Amino acid sequence: MNRKLFFGLLICLVFNAGLYAQKTNIDTVAVAILDRMSHMIGDLNSCHVTVKSNYDIQSQHLGLVKHSDEEQLYMEGPDKLLIRATGDRGDRNIFYNGQSLSYFSVETNRYSTIALLAPIVEMIDTVHKLYNIDFPAADFFYPTFVDDLLSESQYLIYLGMTKVDGKDCFHIAGKMPDKTFQFWVSDDGLNLPLKMVIVYTSREMSPQYEAVLSDWQLNPVFPPALFEFTIPPKAKTIKLIKAPTKK
Amino acid sequence: MKSTFYIFLNYVLIFVLFFILIFPSPIRAQRFNHSNYSGGGKPAGGAPAQNFNRPSTSPAMSRPSQPPVQTRPTQPAESHVSPPQNQQYRATINGGSYNNNHDYNRTANQNVAAARPPVNTHQEVTVRQNVTVHENVNVYHNHYQPAHAYVYHPYHPYYWGHNWHPIGFVAAALATDAIVLSAANHQYYYDEGVYYQPAPGGYSVVPAPIGAIVSSLPPGSETTMVGNDYYYYYGGTFYVNTGNSFQVVNAPFGAVITQIPDGAVQQDINGETFLVYNNTYYQPISQDGQDAYQVVQVN
Repeated sequence: MNRKLFFGLLICLVFNAGLYAQKTNIDTVAVAILDRMSHMIGDLNSCHVTVKSNYDIQSQHLGLVKHSDEEQLYMEGPDKLLIRATGDRGDRNIFYNGQSLSYFSVETNRYSTIALLAPIVEMIDTVHKLYNIDFPAADFFYPTFVDDLLSESQYLIYLGMTKVDGKDCFHIAGKMPDKTFQFWVSDDGLNLPLKMVIVYTSREMSPQYEAVLSDWQLNPVFPPALFEFTIPPKAKTIKLIKAPTKK
Repeated sequence: MKSTFYIFLNYVLIFVLFFILIFPSPIRAQRFNHSNYSGGGKPAGGAPAQNFNRPSTSPAMSRPSQPPVQTRPTQPAESHVSPPQNQQYRATINGGSYNNNHDYNRTANQNVAAARPPVNTHQEVTVRQNVTVHENVNVYHNHYQPAHAYVYHPYHPYYWGHNWHPIGFVAAALATDAIVLSAANHQYYYDEGVYYQPAPGGYSVVPAPIGAIVSSLPPGSETTMVGNDYYYYYGGTFYVNTGNSFQVVNAPFGAVITQIPDGAVQQDINGETFLVYNNTYYQPISQDGQDAYQVVQVN
């Protein structure tokens, strides 16, 4: 009996190993397009982009409920960032001048400032890990974006040409163990990301996140004051609490 | 009493704001794991070409220490965060992309590889390896006939008029002007885009024999372009124009057609429903807002 069980388990393991082994399919065209996009972003000295996002929040009685935000991103290398966000999560701004990061909630007139000395992406990564604060479409700005995708993707496929807001785009789709994703990259020589969709397949009801990136401005000149936070009258401070350490 | 209430309300507001800050929506955070990112700038030297069959590893980082910079917060800093040690950083927004040099398996200059991926030539076999959609369904796509996204729509069997019959239909008699033709040492009767063979009780409709040549196609045939080639489609059969006639060919991968005859079978592959007709897989798609199907290859 035990021997049968052992061989049964062994067969299951071999079968599963075979399944996993054949489930990685990476399309080199998709990789080339994303590499091009990533290189293009990496060469920008400054940029502005509008990110309009829709995302699902699970409601106990209503199922998935759509919410939306619109964020204006202003970035100047190596270490300046401004995010002006409006939407269902309220109006809020994030200022980063290379020395300190300020979070300001417009509606509550409260702010918090932390001293931080790092380039933009390093700051984003650090703040996200420490405080769980997210930044819109930040994934595209990671210099290791393509490698990060390849590390986990079981599939990464170039599907063909399509349009986003009337612009010709490369349509790329992929799959990870816990999510599927799609990117639309402009076919205009600049190869900038115009849209992304993520479906969290491993979560209950498979919530989605969709972001449309528009109004790209490349290498604009921003006044330094744009990234400086000025404490509004009667604004009160709050203290950011560190997120629990992920195991 | 009133002031106590306001103090309490104040604490509640602060707590709510903390909650929003600390626990943002789980799908709003950085949405991919950036395991290869360890902070800092572009590593010196090129990383080795990446093998797509294995997960990439973090690029080797050269992390020269940065000259100390005076921190002069202009705003009251309530807390201080020590990020990873910074190093020489390009004055770009992210220090420059430093994804591994990915091997596109080509000898051409990789810098131009992504400008417009060549997907319409035979060389694509060497350029695009293992291109698979929906796990087992290979999709052919090129500049003229790109792969369309899967868009499910219900299957409605199509009939091309009174003289058209699906495979398996038995006609007691054939029209007097039915054409006798032979293909692969078998004799067939052809009438109005339908192929028959003698069967008990009359003549049975059979799949069009590959290679058969007919002089004309009935009205209602549609034209589809794959690559630089035109194909003609009628009653579930694809043809090429050979000059003064039309020859039956296998369904070309990538061809888009609008109707599928009666007799197709739906098959679910990884949660997506394909139609199988005459051993050909058709993927439901949407083209110009209309329901359509694209011929795909299934391994």
